[in-house]
Amino acid sequence: MHMADALVSPPVAITAGVAAAALIVVASRKVSQIKREDILPLMGVMGAFVFAAQMINFSIPGTGSSGHIIGGVLLAALMGPWAAFITLASVLIIQCLVFADGGLMALGCNLINMGAMSCLVAFPLIYRPIAGRSLKKGRVMLASIAACIVGLELGALLVTGETELSGITALPASQFLMFMLPIHLAIGLCEGVATGAVLCFVQSYKPDMLYRTDRLYENPSQPKKMTRKSKVVLTVFAVLALAMGVAFTWIASSNPDGLEWSIARITGDTELAPAITPATALMPDYNSTFSGVLGGLIVVALLWGFCSIIFRKRHAKA
Amino acid sequence: MPKLENALISLNSLSRPAAGKVSAPALLVVTLVYLVAVLSVPLYAPQRIVWLAVYPVVQSEMSGIGFARVFGKSLWVLPLILLIGIFNPFIDTQTAFTIGGVAVSRGWVSFFSIMLRGLLAVQAVVILTMTAGFYDMCHAMRRFGCPKVLVTQLQFTYRYMVVVVEEAVGMDRARKARGFGRNSYPLRMWGRMVGQLLVRSYERATRIYRAMLSRGFDGTMPLSRPQHMSGLSWVFMLIWVAVMLALRLINISQLIF
Repeated sequence: MHMADALVSPPVAITAGVAAAALIVVASRKVSQIKREDILPLMGVMGAFVFAAQMINFSIPGTGSSGHIIGGVLLAALMGPWAAFITLASVLIIQCLVFADGGLMALGCNLINMGAMSCLVAFPLIYRPIAGRSLKKGRVMLASIAACIVGLELGALLVTGETELSGITALPASQFLMFMLPIHLAIGLCEGVATGAVLCFVQSYKPDMLYRTDRLYENPSQPKKMTRKSKVVLTVFAVLALAMGVAFTWIASSNPDGLEWSIARITGDTELAPAITPATALMPDYNSTFSGVLGGLIVVALLWGFCSIIFRKRHAKA
Repeated sequence: MPKLENALISLNSLSRPAAGKVSAPALLVVTLVYLVAVLSVPLYAPQRIVWLAVYPVVQSEMSGIGFARVFGKSLWVLPLILLIGIFNPFIDTQTAFTIGGVAVSRGWVSFFSIMLRGLLAVQAVVILTMTAGFYDMCHAMRRFGCPKVLVTQLQFTYRYMVVVVEEAVGMDRARKARGFGRNSYPLRMWGRMVGQLLVRSYERATRIYRAMLSRGFDGTMPLSRPQHMSGLSWVFMLIWVAVMLALRLINISQLIF
């Protein structure tokens, strides 16, 4: 599910990044209002826990591919959606920076695909209505499975959309979806069962760890409404994201290489492609592609040799 | 468990910054500019991406990490991008150019581009982490306006990983000691085992947090070294941004070959 930098184009990455940044700002405000004394260590340790859990890859039979859980629903069930989103964001940032898992440019995409979809969409819309305040294990299990599947499928849908919009893969969107959705159905099922099992245990062993809206805020009868300031911030970011999306689409479509290609591919209109990029204009460029790549590689290799000789001596001295 | 323990080792090695003299904010800016430059090159022009390899090659050698090490670390991203890129040669079969009678399709050209940009992007991030160090990077993020809640959360998560892994290793050892030679975990035990791990690490994390509070923790972690932008950092940043812009905007392959 982690998207690498190679799979996104700057317009898509930056638009998603702005949207994700807005969500982080809002979530930070929400979290700083939480009056639960142990929220900091809880968020820290849950982040570490989910991080470890995400490292366990299970293979998906028959596909030759492997998947891992996301943990958003588990986090949200323990700490509420906003704290869960911040926690998952920290996990994704550490994975990106320390383990180079998921790109830095693609971070916004990853935050939305994995964080927002599971914590901010699947949890409040699927988990909460099903599980309610019930302590019955069956309902908790059912709610976890449903929420995990929905969260993962939404994420998979967005991954497909973002990759196609970036114009990276030549694979048509429908085929890409046929490839992504069944895999994530299987992963969602596994994650749902795992989440449900852990939540059932926590409920019977340490029920005060579970998230309840009424205990989070100072005034228990009335959770704090969003302040005007954060509403303004959210609106500004939303408008910014929209404007960037539109602007980049416009810029990209005046350039034959980026989005237009992918749009032509998505609509399946192969007739469009030669019209946008006339063969006469492209062919001379292609003749130089091979020599360009080869020449570039040689120069870079020479540079490497040069640098390693100069700087290694210096570092050895120091 | 060895995977977890390896992760712990690499975490520890990255928490302390390498000997780099350039401050983290400058590195962060340069990396972001680099990523935009690499990712904005059209897929059908790999000859233009190749030139951008100058940054990871020179910067890794300059900071004393060595390009070979960075390259090795970036290799593991290949399967991920292979999975997406591999379809292009089969779908986009239009001929791009021919070398000695062998036709190379546009699909292969874009496939090569995807591999190249995938590797270069990961290399840039690897260099960033290895030269700046995790905590300095957190402070750089704070300086760029990242909310305090998120930065504190990042630092807590990073520190508590050790707690979770230690608890997991301890539980695994205890179970093996009492398992009469059974090393595997039956499926229905996983829920209880993981739940137990969660509750145990949570309780220990709370104890650690209280200990931190009683020793004067006020929500900010101290810096390991001062982080003002030195003259060197400014020079570093401006030169690299200029070089990247030049490499991105000027088609050097066309000029030379």
